[in-house]
Formats: sequence, C-alpha cells, structure tokens
Amino acid sequence: MPRPEQKIIKLTIDGREVEAVQGTMLVDAAKAADVEIPYFCYEPKLGQPVGACRMCLVEIEGIPKLQTSCSTPVRDGMVVNTQVQRVKDAQNSVVEFLLVNHPLDCPVCDKGGECPLQDITFGWGKGRSRVIEPKRHFVKPLALSPLIAIDRERCILCYRCVRFSQEVAEDWQLIFTERGSHTFVGTHDGHPYVAPFSGNIIELCPVGALTSQPYRFRARPWDIEGAGGVCTLCPAQCNVEFTVRDDKVLRVLSRENPGVDDGWLCDKGRFAYQAIHVDERITTPLVRDGSGELRPASWEEAITAAGALGQHQGSVGALVGGQASNEEAFLIGRLLREGLASADIDSRPHGTVELGLTRALAAPKLQATVQDIEFAHTVLVLGTEPLDDAPILDLRIRKGVRRHGVKLAIASARPSALDPNAQLSIRYAPGAVVEFLSGLEWALTAPGSGETHELAQLLRDGGEDVVILWGESLPPAALAILLRIAEKLGLAEREGAGLLEIPAGANARGIREAGALPNAGPGYADTTTGRDAAEIAAATAAGDIRALYLFGVDPLRDLGARAEWQAALARAELVVAHAGVLTEGIAAHADVVFPAESSAEKEGTIVHPDGRLQRLRVAIKHPGQVRAGWQVIGELAKAVGLDLHVLTAGMAFKQLVAAVPFYAGLTLEQIGGRGVRWPETEAAAAMPAGTPAAQVAVTDVASGPRPEVNGHLAAGTYRSIWASPEVEISPALKFTVAEQLVELAPEDAARLGIEHGSTVQVAQNGTRLSGRAVIRTGVPAGSVFLATGIAKDSANALDELMVEVVKSR
Amino acid sequence: MSSIDRRPPVRRYEHGSRVPGWDEAVDLTKPPATVPDPALTPVPEELRAAIEAEMAKYPDRKSASIPALHLAQRHHGWCSPEAIKQVACVMRLTPAYLTSVASFYDMFYLQPKPKHDVYVCTNITCSLLGADELYERMCEAAEGHDISVRGFECLGACDIGPMASVDGEYVGPLNLDDPKLIVEDIEAGRPVLEHKQLRRRAVADAKGRVDDFDGIAPVGQEGN
Amino acid sequence: MPHLLFDRIDEPGLNTIPVYERRGGYSALRKALQMPPEAIVEELSQSGIRGRGGAGFKMGQKASFLPKGEMAKYLTCNADESEPGTFKDRELMQKSPHTLIEGIIITTYATGIHHAFIYIRGEYQLQADILDAAVAEAEAAGYLGENILGSGHSLKLVVHRGAGAYICGEETGLLDSLEGKRGNPRLKPPFPAIEGLYAGPTLVNNVETLGTVPTIINMGGADYAKIGTEGSTGTKLISVSGDVQRPGNYEIELGISSREIIYGLCGGPKPGRTVKMWFPGGSSSPVLLEQDLDLSYDFDTLAKAGSMLGSGAIIVVDDSHSAFEVMQKVVKFYAHESCGKCVPCREGTNWTNKFLARIEAGESTPMDLDILASVQSQIIGNCLCVLGDAMAMPVGSIVAKFRDELEAEIEAARERANALPLTDTEDLLALSAH
Ligand SMILES: Cc1cc2nc3c(=O)[nH]c(=O)nc-3n(C[C@H](O)[C@H](O)[C@H](O)COP(=O)(O)O)c2cc1C
Ligand code: SF4
Ligand code: SF4
Ligand code: FES
Ligand code: FES
Repeated sequence: MPRPEQKIIKLTIDGREVEAVQGTMLVDAAKAADVEIPYFCYEPKLGQPVGACRMCLVEIEGIPKLQTSCSTPVRDGMVVNTQVQRVKDAQNSVVEFLLVNHPLDCPVCDKGGECPLQDITFGWGKGRSRVIEPKRHFVKPLALSPLIAIDRERCILCYRCVRFSQEVAEDWQLIFTERGSHTFVGTHDGHPYVAPFSGNIIELCPVGALTSQPYRFRARPWDIEGAGGVCTLCPAQCNVEFTVRDDKVLRVLSRENPGVDDGWLCDKGRFAYQAIHVDERITTPLVRDGSGELRPASWEEAITAAGALGQHQGSVGALVGGQASNEEAFLIGRLLREGLASADIDSRPHGTVELGLTRALAAPKLQATVQDIEFAHTVLVLGTEPLDDAPILDLRIRKGVRRHGVKLAIASARPSALDPNAQLSIRYAPGAVVEFLSGLEWALTAPGSGETHELAQLLRDGGEDVVILWGESLPPAALAILLRIAEKLGLAEREGAGLLEIPAGANARGIREAGALPNAGPGYADTTTGRDAAEIAAATAAGDIRALYLFGVDPLRDLGARAEWQAALARAELVVAHAGVLTEGIAAHADVVFPAESSAEKEGTIVHPDGRLQRLRVAIKHPGQVRAGWQVIGELAKAVGLDLHVLTAGMAFKQLVAAVPFYAGLTLEQIGGRGVRWPETEAAAAMPAGTPAAQVAVTDVASGPRPEVNGHLAAGTYRSIWASPEVEISPALKFTVAEQLVELAPEDAARLGIEHGSTVQVAQNGTRLSGRAVIRTGVPAGSVFLATGIAKDSANALDELMVEVVKSR
Repeated sequence: MSSIDRRPPVRRYEHGSRVPGWDEAVDLTKPPATVPDPALTPVPEELRAAIEAEMAKYPDRKSASIPALHLAQRHHGWCSPEAIKQVACVMRLTPAYLTSVASFYDMFYLQPKPKHDVYVCTNITCSLLGADELYERMCEAAEGHDISVRGFECLGACDIGPMASVDGEYVGPLNLDDPKLIVEDIEAGRPVLEHKQLRRRAVADAKGRVDDFDGIAPVGQEGN
Repeated sequence: MPHLLFDRIDEPGLNTIPVYERRGGYSALRKALQMPPEAIVEELSQSGIRGRGGAGFKMGQKASFLPKGEMAKYLTCNADESEPGTFKDRELMQKSPHTLIEGIIITTYATGIHHAFIYIRGEYQLQADILDAAVAEAEAAGYLGENILGSGHSLKLVVHRGAGAYICGEETGLLDSLEGKRGNPRLKPPFPAIEGLYAGPTLVNNVETLGTVPTIINMGGADYAKIGTEGSTGTKLISVSGDVQRPGNYEIELGISSREIIYGLCGGPKPGRTVKMWFPGGSSSPVLLEQDLDLSYDFDTLAKAGSMLGSGAIIVVDDSHSAFEVMQKVVKFYAHESCGKCVPCREGTNWTNKFLARIEAGESTPMDLDILASVQSQIIGNCLCVLGDAMAMPVGSIVAKFRDELEAEIEAARERANALPLTDTEDLLALSAH
C-alpha cells in the first residue's frame, strides 16, 4: 500500500499565514503554528475524530456554524479564527457544561497538576460557574481491574478509553453503558477490564477518572521527574518514560515513537517496573559458601570467586540472555574469546543457524520495518503469536488491517489472537512448520488448491509489499525455505516489503550483531566456531565444559532440554551468573551471582528487531550494591587477566562501533531518543553478504494438524506475555502471572472427559507436568499447547512431540 | 420533581442508571469477558437459528445486534447477562459490546421484568390530555400483576392521546377507568380494549375514508 | 386539492398487492423502469419535493449527490418517527405499505442501489409486521429481488426494527444503529451520501418522501411542482394533536393557512378555549402564538417566522395549560433522549432539566430565567447534531414569549415552597453535600 504523499498548503490562522501538510487536522496545524486550540476527545492515535467534546470549536470563514478543528482537515486558502468572541463564548460554554457534573475534587485527585481539564478550565473557562443544581454522584473510586481504579464522577465521557478498547486493542471489553447524562464507563456484568493493553487508558484519560492502582497517591507532579528509556521486557522495545521520585521508578508512561510503538505500552511494560524495587530483587553480589548457601558477599569477594573462570581456559561456556545490551554482549564475547580462550558462546535458545543463512536473513535490504507492517499489502505472521512475543506489534498489525486495509494471513500451529482479523488463518501441526513451508514454496510456483495455495496466491498476487513476521522459534531448516520464499517474492527489492524476525529475547538482534554467537564474531564476522547452547549443555553434562557463565539466562527457565541442562548445571564446577531474581536454576546452581541492572539503571544500546539502535539511559541510581554490567564484565576480565579498556559505557560503545562495520560512524547523539535504523545508513553496505539460498527441488507435503494417535496429542509450546520473572515479582501483576494452561481442542477434551478449568497431567516418557485445562475452540483436534518460560511445570521439561493428557485425580 | 417521577418507570439506581454495577467495583475474581468460546457457551438451538437468520440479512453481521437482542429478550424475558452472552457467542462479539448497545435503547431491559409491558405515553400531547394521572392509575391497577408499567416518550400516536402501548398494541384515548380494564384483558389473555385499538381507527382526513371501513371513527369525529 | 397519498387510504385490503394494484399501484414502477435512471432523478429534482422528515432538504438534489457507478450503495428509509407530535408515517405504512415499497424500488433504480433498509421504530410493531408481510408479498410478485420485472434492476429490502431511541431518527444516528451500534450521531462531513452505511454512499429519506415518489413519477415532476407554493411544492401529510377537537393525520396542500388547518380541519381547541401556543413542526420547533395562525403553512414562511415546518407535526396548546408545564415536558424529553455523545447537549439538556426542577421546587428567582435563556443559547450551534438545538430552540422561544408568565410561576412556586417547611431545600443541600 503506497504511503500517502504529503503536499504543503497555506492557510490563515488568526490573520497569520501558516503552512501545513494537506489533510492535517486543523487543530494540529494550528499547534504547529503555535496557536493552541484546546481539546479533550481528539487523539489521532485512536482513529477517526469523534467530535464529542466540542472544546475545539473554531470559526472558519465561509462556514456559518463553528467547526470542530479536530475533524476539519486543512485546505489551501482556509481562513480560520480562534480568537474571536464567538469562539471564546463557545469555549466558555463547553467548559461550563463539562463542569455541570464534575465534582471539582482536585485537592484529592491524583491527576491534579497534570490534568488537561484543570488546564483548560483555567485557560479557556470563565472562571466561575452558574451551576448550583445537584451533581450526579457515584461511589468512588472503584476497582475497574486490579490495575485501574475508576472515579465515574470525574469522567467527562470523552470516549478516549472506550475507543482504545474498541478501536485500538479491539478487545471490546470497555464500554459506555446507558445514554445521555446517565452514560458511564463500564464493563459487562461486573467483569474486570483485564486485557494485555488495558493500562493505556490511564494515560489517555484527560481527567482523574482512570488512575493507576499502583501509582495512585505515590507522588504529585511536582515531586517527580521524567526520564526517557526503553522497555527491555520483550523485543518490541517500546519507548518509555520513567516517572522517577527519589531514585525510585514509580510509574512508566509511553514515549511515543511511531517507528517503534505508536505511543502504546502493554501492561507488562507499564507495570513490571515494580520489579525494580522489591525485596525479591538481588541487589548485592552473592557467593555460595562452604555449606552450599548463597550468601551476600562484597564485590571483591564475588569478583575473586568468579575470577576462577580463568582456571578453566578453553572450557567455559557462556550464554547471553535477551536483556543484555549490545555492549555487554560484545564485552562478554571478548572476555570469552580473548580472556578465556573459548568460542563456546551463544544467545539463541533455538539452535544455531548457519552463518551464511543468518547473514542472508539479516541483510539490510530484506528487513521490514515496524511501519511497513502498517502499509503493506499483505502481512504474513509465521510461527509467532505477536500478542505474546512482541505485544505492541499485535496492535500495529490490527491498525494496518483496520486503517489501511492490510490483508493479514496467519500461519501457525496454535490459534492466534489475530485470527479474527485475518483473511486467512492456516494451522499446521505442531512441529510441522518445515513441511508447511515446503508446501508453501511449492504452491508459489505450482497451481493447485487448498489453503496453502490460497496463501501463496495472496502473497504472490495480493500486492508487492509483503511483510513476513516470523518467530525465532522456527527451526533452522525452516529458515532456509523462508529465505527462498522471500527471494521468490522479491521482498528484498521493495522498500515496503521484507522480513521481520520476532526473536525470543528483547535485544536478541543486537546481541547477535555484537557477536554473542558460536559461529560469528561482532558484525557477523567469520570466527572460530564454538559450541551452541544445546552443545554447551551436552558438553557440560559430559564434563567437557567445566564452567558456565550465564549472563541474564537461567537455562532451566529460558531454554529447552531441561533434563540435560539440569545435569549440566549439576556437573559444572563453576557457575557464574548475572541475575536480577533468583530463579530456579540460578538459586540451585550458581556459585557466584552478580546483581543485574534493570533497564532503568542501564546505560548502553540495544537493537530493535527491525535494526533500530536505541539507547538505554540511566533513569535512577543503582539500588543497593548493583553495578553496571559493562563494569562488572570489565572487572571480571581483569580478574582473569584481560584488560578490556572500558572505563565508561561510552568507551564500550565506541569499541562496539569499531568492531561492527555496519555501525561505522554511529554516535550516541545520533541515536538519541528516537533511535537510528542501521540498515538505512550508508554503513549498511558493510554488512557481510549472506549465502543465497540453495535452490532445491520442492514437492508438496502435508503439514496439517492430525488427530490424536493412540491417545497421544502433538504438543506445541507458547510463551505467554505474562511469563517472566519481572511479572512474578511485581506486586501489581501477581494476579496475572502465567501458569501452565493446557490448551485443548473441544473434541479432545470431550473424548478425554476433561472439563474447562480442571487440573490435568501432561505426561511423556515418565515426565509429568500439572496444569489447568483450557478448552479453546480453534485448537485443532490432536494438538495441545503448553506453556514455557514459567516458574513451575514448564513445558521445557518435555523433549518430544507427542504427549498424553489425562485428568488429575 | 414532578409527580410522575415518584414511581420510577424502570428500576433505576440512585443516580438513575438502569444498569446494575455502577456503584460497585468489578468482581476481581471473574475472568475478563472476552468473546465467548462456543465450546463453553451453550445456546438454545432455536435462539441460535433465529439469530443466525437475522445475521444473514445484513452485509455486516453486527447489524443484527438489535434484532438479536430482541430475540434474546423474548426468549429469556429480559437481557440477562446469560442472554447477552449467548447472543455474543453466536454473533462473535464481546458481551460488553451488546451490553453497551442494549443499555442505549429503551426497549431493552437489563433487569428482570414482569411478563407484560404497558408503555404509557407521558410526552407532550398525551400529558396535555391527562397522561400523568392516567399513568399513576395504570401503575395502581397493575400492582400485584405480572405487568411492567413505564412512562414512555411519544409513541407516535398522539392522535389517540392519552394512549398506551399494551404488549405492542396501541390503545387510546384512555380514560381513568381504562387501566383496570387493560389489566383485566391482559389477565384474561384477551385482546386489549378492542374498541380503542389504533389498528382499527379510520384516518382523520375525510378524503382518506371509505364507506365500507368497519373500524372505529377518528377521535372527535365519532358523530360523522 | 388533490389527495395524493391519503386518497381513500382506509380502503380495506389496500395493504395487499391485489387491492393496491387494482388502484393503479406499481404502475409508476413499471413506468419508471422504462426510463433511464438519470431521468428519474431529474423528475424528482423538477418536482421540487423537499424532505418530509424534518430538515426539508431537496430530495432530488440529495439523490444526485450520490456517486454514480457500481459500488456498494445503500438506501435507508427513515421510519423512526419519534419526533413528539408526529405520527403520519405510521398511517401510511400501516394502510398502504406498498406505496412506500414502490417508492423505494423506484428510488433505488434511479440511484443504482441494490440494498435498502426500512429502519422502523421498535414500538411500531403492528406497522413493522405489516411491512414485513408486504415485503414478502412484493418479493413473491417479482417487485423485489433479482431482475425486477425484467429490468435488470435488483433490490434486497430489509425491514429493521429499532428499540426505542429518538436519536435514531437523526440520519447518522440511524446509520450507526443500523450497523448494530449505539445510535450516536456521526460527525458530518462526511455526509451519508458520500460515506454512510458500512462506509458506502447512502441515501436517507423519510417514509413520506419516498412514498411520494410513485406519485411524482405518475404525474411528472413538473406537474407535481405546480401543487403547493414555489418553495414548498406538493402536498404534505400533517399530524395534528393536542388541544384540538379533531386530532389526526391530514393531507394538505402546502401553503394553506395554519388557521385553516388548526381550526378548519381540526376544529380548534374546545369551545371556550383559545390557542395559547402551537408547535408547527414537532416539539423541536420554536413555538408560535395565536397571532401567528394566519401564517401560510409552508417551509419558507415558517422559517421566516422563526420556527420551522419540521416533520409537519402541529401540537396545539390551549390556554388551560401553563407555559412552564409545556416547557418541562419538552425538556424532560430531550434530556432523556440526548444520546450523550457531545457535551453541550448532554450536559445542557440535563442541566436545564435540573434547572426546571429547581424552579418547580420554589428554589429560584425570576433572574434565573436569564441564566436559563443563556444556557439555551450556549447549546445552540455548538452540538454535534441538532438534538441539542431541538430542545434549546423551543425552550428559548418559550422563555422569550412567556417571560411574564414564567416569572409569575417562579414567584408562585416560591410562595408554595415557603408555605411548606424548608425540607426540600434541606434535601437539596443534603444531596449536594453528599
Ligand atoms: C434528533 C433528530 C430526530 C429526527 N427524527 C427523524 C425521524 O424520526 N424521521 C425522519 O424521517 N427524520 C428524522 N430526522 C431527520 C433526519 O435526520 C433526516 O433529515 C431525514 O430522515 C432525511 O429524510 P428526508 O430528506 O426525506 O426528510 C431527525 C433529525 C434529528 C436531528
Ligand atoms: S474515563 Fe476518562 S478517558 Fe474514559 S471517557 Fe471518562 S474522561 Fe474519557
Ligand atoms: S446533540 Fe445530543 S443527541 Fe446530538 S450528538 Fe450531541 S449529545 Fe448526541
Ligand atoms: S477535540 Fe474536537 S470535538 Fe473534542
Ligand atoms: S405524545 Fe403521546 S403518543 Fe405522542
């Protein structure tokens, strides 16, 4: 879909000629020209203007009635008056009307001081009210959800919150009920408004009607400062503003960046800041003592203990977790390769991808941007659930479909939240994605019928701008086919087309670019090949690798092959970890634990899946004994006899830029608050070329879901948006912590006599997990979906495809 | 407040809402009300079929929400949360969407209601002609019967004002004795006030009338 | 004067095709199907017919705004008829539904529309059932469906029942309601003719407007235009109610005197009573007085007199009623029916309602009438649709025209209140302190 062209026109506002892009709403054009028109309901992020509040009325010459400037696009030659008496009268009137039912309880209102209603009443109201009639009264405040309190007296019925629910998140849970002045914001039959993006309504509300339960009355606007940052809880990397008081993060707000988040946050990003300031967080170094207890230790002690890694030269395996910064990943690579004579470093949880293929898939020209999703002809979501894996992209896809007519196709094993928006949803059997992609490749060239052919036709003939979002969990064999499909569709040749990987870790892309891979150095350079995560596990369990360095990873939580990792961790002579929380594997096996930084404390850079380098800045001081990651790695390197020459985060960044050819010339200033997409820079040419996909003869293969076999179901896995240690320790999010929900097809549930919500056992080769059954229409008969990444009963304990599901007695 | 506000036409809460829950926090133990899963939401077969038939009439299935709510209200007696959930399940909408729609329209009840409906028009013309007192009488007459009495806005029959709609049947002009008869007719399951039914009235315009019309003369023209 | 719509409308069986056809029904359709579509729009323009739903917009012009060519376009017949005092569409639909259906078929043929809806208020159950039966009959007779009478024109007509909300008579509120949403009006532009139902171009017309189309085709637009006055052509169905002796629906030629309607046709108020005020076009129209009775009943004259013809619903109030009582009924209605979307209407109607309650409780002073009037003027012109204005204009006119009486009413209410202990005041204070 071609993006609209921008034409500049001239209009007159209050006697002054100003320029504006044609089609801009008058209120915005005026703002750009420093003319402030007050408004409440206008919010372009929410879609078409509704014209409800009437605050933005202006006079347009030639039109008898006052017009809403929020809904009037500017035209060439338009003459607009915002300062005439008529307009002032209308503004006075609207303010007076708004306050007819408003309680004016500003002294006890959490919004006070940052409230548009206060500001506009002061700026555009008459300063007195003639209302002496009784106002409407509600009991207040009330819980709207565990996260949001609602004060219905203060609500001015501006439609923002309900439009968000209905037209952005499309969850349709938050509504207006009743009519006229009885109207109020509510939900169906007392159900809470619990939805992944619910917190955005707090920020949208122009009055104190919707307030954050965790933030209520924690601070007044004059007590706080805002600090820009980036959320690192998932690869969507939304831009945020931390509300800071006395070096504590009290709130997270969105910091709109159209290239990243469109100004929205998910509730994990908005509320998991609480994990920064809870007792569960580790804030001092820990060292395991003689009795096997992890106990607090001084930095010297901890560094010395960890320095024992130096005694395992050539026999240290390192894993880098998704929240590491580029600099940290880069320095770990140096530590390992230069200081510990080991190439056994990995950051991919799903297996090595051949370097030529890695490079080809990361090729600058083949990268789709976040905004491409919105303007593509067709978007294919392949093997990922955006809502769980990069929530904010779920909203972007919905926006594309809703506003720009993007044709959406989903190909996945598990039903997707986006299915209702998709033109085509294809289910393949768990584990059959390679077969599915072979079939798709076949269908792209051969005639035929069936859904795979329909998809092929959509991709081929539905318009050239095709964006494929693919999940990192696709096995390497699938990626080779994906690359061939991208070549067949010519995605690299089009600006608005391409691939967009949704990796498992928040900064997975940056970490790989920084060289935390067994088969590539910084900048995807050739290097001595080391062992990947699975091989490290096997080698450690076998005694080949004797020490492990875990930077923000708990293999028992974050990786598969749980049994093997358990053996590896038990056998390793030394386990050094950086962690914020003592998750299972770390608690049981780490010998040294360095307290990890939160993203609000960290200084460094990260890379968005679409290649945008973004900056993390220090919003608050490190709590307790916490030290910067780059600093700790530097000290550790020293302890093993390597001087990394980093005395500041900036020095680490410079080393990184020098080592990664396609970052050449980038500075922190350039990256700034909005980020820079390196694939768009000149230096991108320095990216090493990938190996073109080998052409192979393709055939049509069946990949569809199959019914149960001897009572066994094919198990697919998913990682819920709520599956993360930060969620587990944030008091406000306790209600939503992910657990093992076993998603079953209605047919299978009926056959097995399993009721919705009952406890079930999932068994395989003697391993048993316990979980709660969720009967979900759309799960193909014969498939079952199990949660990973959770604290207990995670499906990473299962190694094979087929499982048995039985009722718990 | 004028006299007719003394007896609220529909059960209303303190601030005037017909929808329960305005003064209560949500129930945090309930799950969010998303689009009901068909596998978990039993819907009576005839209701499902009727709703699906309505959906088929429109280019966009959502258009059937008002007809579907009418059907559900008829089936369940009122738009109960369960009724709304069933409609939501068949239409693939959230229950909240339908609650929002239902609460906008006067003819949907979000509270249990008696079986029979009497809407007494209390709008301008009818009230000029004595509707307020009639309404009070109607309420008194209905006391103890399975009848809901509501003061309604103009029902579009001011020519027979003061008037009422009894289970959809328009009757008028009513006098203060009629409420008792209406209740009797309802209880007996008879057509209500046959001699006052709008369906049987001739048009007021003389040129509109014909000789072989066997209905009732227009109001004020009984002599002709 | 010719009777075009009401002529012997009481004839038994006219709601069925055999009787309707025997009286010449569906001949206009046959004639129209022989004409090129543009020629029909041209006839409609020539007829000069203005919309009968309230706004009085020229029908031919509206039809010509619709984009030409094949695309999903819709026609919606507005049968919501909820304006207090209005009940003319009811009579037409109940007794001669095929007149409307024939008009709809011709109009859709003229505008290239293949999907039409009749949005009828939910309370009109009898009329909706009759329409449903008539549509089924017309389908069976080949007047609806595919390839109507071999003309190649196809039309699907659906009768859609509302559920009780005045605002769904406003054309964009109607469209939202028909889309299955709350009936909140939409911002205009875009106008429905460009972007209406399901975002497609949509023609919205009143029952009577569409019902007149067969007549116009039969007579020819030019001849139709000869009836009535220059700016208000044709005949009009009017609903007269209130303090008159012969209330009901009448078909009149536009331009006859209002006195002739109220006194001539309807017999005026009961003997001994005089006309105190009258609403010439439904409760939304500013009131006129006894002295205005000789005004010609047409769109332009009534507009010039500061009121409007609206839907053609005359409500007569005689001198036995107080202006306050009338005003209060009007206000209650609009406060109840405001959809709540925009601030001036939602809060303005609600505030006015509470204001009148305060007057009634003896809590106000004559000076408060200035505030009351000013609140009305703050509503007018500032709302999203004109429902707010529809309260503010008649209320404003009553305050202006009956100021003395209202002041006396306030004084009287104060006296009444003083006679009682001040409990009401305390209630009020208790409430506001709550
Ligand atoms: C609050 C409000 C209520 C209305 N109610 C009706 C109605 O019940 N019937 C109707 O035909 N027009 C009604 N209208 C007018 C319609 O908006 C619209 O102008 C009309 O249906 C157009 O048809 P016409 O051009 O044939 O008159 C109403 C307008 C407003 C503002
Ligand atoms: S709660 Fe806030 S955002 Fe929602 S309608 Fe009311 S004022 Fe607007
Ligand atoms: S004027 Fe009244 S009815 Fe019209 S949109 Fe505004 S609130 Fe709704
Ligand atoms: S901002 Fe324009 S109407 Fe609300
Ligand atoms: S006022 Fe009662 S029916 Fe119109």
